[in-house]
Amino acid sequence: MAKRQKRFEVLADRPVNKDGFIKEWVDVGLVAMDSPNDPKPSIKIQNGVVVELDGKRRDDFDMIDYAIADYCVDKRVAEEAMAVDSLKFARMMVDINVPRAELVRLAVGFTPAKVVSVLRELNVVELMMAMQKMRTRKQPMNQAHVTNVKDSAPLLAADAAEAAYRGFAEIETTVGIARYAPMNALALLVGGQVGRPGVLSQCAVEEAAELNMGMRGLTSYAETVSVYGTEQVFIDGDDTPWSKFFLASAYASRGLKMRYTSGTGSEVLMGYAEGKSMLYLEVRCIMVTKGAGVQGLQNGSISCIGVPGAVPAGIRTVLAENLATVLMNLEVASGNDQTFTHSIERNTARMLMQFLPGTDFIFSGYAAEPNYDNMFAGSTHDVDDYDDYLVLQRDLQVDGGLKPVTEAGVIEVRNKAARALQAVFEEVGLPPITDDEVERATYAHGSKEMGDRNVPEDLRGIDGFMKRGSTGLDVVRALAKRGFRDVAEAVLEMQKAKVAGDYLQTSAVFDDKFNVISSINHPNDYEGPGTGYRLTGERWELLKNIPQAIDAEQI
Amino acid sequence: MAQINDISPEVIEAAVKRVLSTLNGGASANPEPAHSPSNGAAGKLDAKKDYPLSKMRPELVKSATGLAFNEITLDKVVEGKLGFDDVRIRPETLEYQAQIAESGGRPHVATNLRRAAELTRIPDERVLEIYVALRPYRSTKQEMMAIAEELENKYSAKICAKFVREAAEVYDKRGRLKGQ
Repeated sequence: MAKRQKRFEVLADRPVNKDGFIKEWVDVGLVAMDSPNDPKPSIKIQNGVVVELDGKRRDDFDMIDYAIADYCVDKRVAEEAMAVDSLKFARMMVDINVPRAELVRLAVGFTPAKVVSVLRELNVVELMMAMQKMRTRKQPMNQAHVTNVKDSAPLLAADAAEAAYRGFAEIETTVGIARYAPMNALALLVGGQVGRPGVLSQCAVEEAAELNMGMRGLTSYAETVSVYGTEQVFIDGDDTPWSKFFLASAYASRGLKMRYTSGTGSEVLMGYAEGKSMLYLEVRCIMVTKGAGVQGLQNGSISCIGVPGAVPAGIRTVLAENLATVLMNLEVASGNDQTFTHSIERNTARMLMQFLPGTDFIFSGYAAEPNYDNMFAGSTHDVDDYDDYLVLQRDLQVDGGLKPVTEAGVIEVRNKAARALQAVFEEVGLPPITDDEVERATYAHGSKEMGDRNVPEDLRGIDGFMKRGSTGLDVVRALAKRGFRDVAEAVLEMQKAKVAGDYLQTSAVFDDKFNVISSINHPNDYEGPGTGYRLTGERWELLKNIPQAIDAEQI
Repeated sequence: MAQINDISPEVIEAAVKRVLSTLNGGASANPEPAHSPSNGAAGKLDAKKDYPLSKMRPELVKSATGLAFNEITLDKVVEGKLGFDDVRIRPETLEYQAQIAESGGRPHVATNLRRAAELTRIPDERVLEIYVALRPYRSTKQEMMAIAEELENKYSAKICAKFVREAAEVYDKRGRLKGQ
């Protein structure tokens, strides 16, 4: 244009216009929740066997169809459930007079296309209303990422401690260099238990390596076990539903909590969406998860958020996939992780979809480090957003899982975590953590303030640690020997959790006294105003008292 | 109920192995195959009354080596009296948790926990190997059938054996076997 209108010039420079948007393109699956290629809901059952699923005959089933038909769909209620009009079921989901249990009972008789046909009827406010009712655990909670670009163990321990101290119920790390995985897992195990006893920790790496760390008691749960909505993408991910089912059982056989991961957009990115809508393919993932008998799922597009973020109603669809997960009576860790926009407005609006109704884990996870240190390709919110987040909780009287803290308290737990890990390293024969590193980790904003560790020496140390067959019990002994008896007790309790198996139940976490809190003993009992989880009493007193607030009596 | 459970043969056997392994210098005993775990006359566990097991029914919770839950203490760890198998879950506990899941309206979770109960009897490395063998294009049908045989005969993992046989059929049909 020869002469620009000045307002348009300004708008062109706004962060939102650095984002990518694309019109719907059905052939490659660039469509959020309604593709003409999505099948129509149908089911036929003969002698207890599903012989037709969403218009496809059993002879034509792919692996995912088999897994859903044979392991997910409850043949006893399928015909009753499929006969319920989709619009009627959508209304039941937002009707406070229809209990959660009735919806869950019927939904397991649905086919993927039926679930999608129900979700299409709900706008975002209705999706949130339904999420408030359908979430499995009564109290919403939150998960953090704990990583840094240097794989600096003392900093990981300090960040894990702060994250746990601030209220995250689960903490997750991953690696810059793959061979660092056991050391990072160890840093989270020790740091996390310093920050708040009972916090669950994991290390997301390649499937077999991740299971191996869990088997040794270095982690207490796993999440990055990916499932996909088309067979070809599943195969390209180097798994089948059967290998993934087996892996799920393997985790449980070692007493380890686990959830699967999936998300809209992955099939588009990997090039085999079969022209289906993202939501339809994601519901197939959710139903594979249900069929596996896995207790929960991380979804909400996750690492593919740029794809639904670019198409119309994409962010609504992300909430719809979270809702489909809890409709299947699964725990949901609902995304809000990978960055997808330059716009602060879009970033917050996307997060409110899960924050307002509350999910089992609103983020999966929140960056407990500055974003430059986040090794999961960044997160929508990071350490610099802590106070904004706390104020949002206070403004809206919503429990987002974090609590106000003092600077002194954070310094104390960060320092203790780094010192505890320093002691463990010495005892188990890992390369030393210096006093200077402890000091830096205590006061650091991020890894830029940390020195460089000797990477080859660290990696040799880790290999030795693994070759010696070191386990969580060696960590317990080391902590006790060096005077960190309270931390030793907590790490031992995390080992004992795997003996009792209570936290294998749906949506389980521990409080700071190691009481398990799950959907079994704390089920969501929302039935309208005056019921369900309410941010009141002691918890509200805690969350509303941010340190910045002026106390009139003090003036 | 507790007494009935306490004297079940597999617990006694595990306890004997535990003592022997201590005498042999700490080499740990393998977890024993579970017979169908019995909770005595009351039958199945109830999510409302019996969960969490570690608090409501601690007498039912024992390690893979038969050690009682409340005997897993920091002092014993520090004194070197406990090995890693003393903090491993045993198949009976997974069966109890399966019953809790069922009673809590989650039969799918129960199915997974019952497969898991069988896998407790298989060493870590072998579990990892079988997982890899089940990945696409890794195994021939014969190799998968051999794994199923091993699961059934060596580890009395009947549910898992059936599961692997079924996988072999599906892989064959969908062309996901080695060389396909």
